[in-house]
Amino acid sequence: MSTAMNFGSKSFKPRPPDKGAFPLDHFGECSAFKERFMECLRDSGYESGACRQRAMAYLECRMERQLMANEPLEKLGFKDLIDEKSEAKPEKS
Amino acid sequence: VVPGETALAFYKAKNPTDKPIIGISTYNVIPFEAGQYFNKIQCFCFEEQRLNPQEEVDMPVFFYIDPEFVEDPKMANVDLITLSYTFFEAKEGQKLPLPGYQ
Repeated sequence: MSTAMNFGSKSFKPRPPDKGAFPLDHFGECSAFKERFMECLRDSGYESGACRQRAMAYLECRMERQLMANEPLEKLGFKDLIDEKSEAKPEKS
Repeated sequence: VVPGETALAFYKAKNPTDKPIIGISTYNVIPFEAGQYFNKIQCFCFEEQRLNPQEEVDMPVFFYIDPEFVEDPKMANVDLITLSYTFFEAKEGQKLPLPGYQ
């Protein structure tokens, strides 16, 4: 078991995720957000970049339900989307 | 997926048995050399996860490909990177040997 045993000189070293593990969404609390994201992916021909808004919404759902550690979205690579939002709505806190 | 841009991917796992299973997963990246550029921000792996009987859950992975990927001449012909996960049943007292993790 454990890491892949290649005959090459290097062995694959799995690295843990930077921000840890997602708890499982046992109750499907964010399934609707996931479905919307997947729908976008299918419609865009699986262009990840086209669906970042919905990816962000999914992660926000998780954070709101304690299914993900709270992290500012700008730090998760969504700074440009946040800036767009705050330009559109100047009163957004 | 564009190197440097964060991306979300989903896997699905199902426990087809009638008893709860505690599993732990590890991952693999193909081609091997692309693995060094694959950065997981958050995922479901490495920690034990419990799946109840007949339960099916979505398993997200939030990641990005290191932008230096585009500078590496060895990666010039790589346009497909495959990420796969293998689930093991966690047994009492068993720890998956994960070099550099503990």
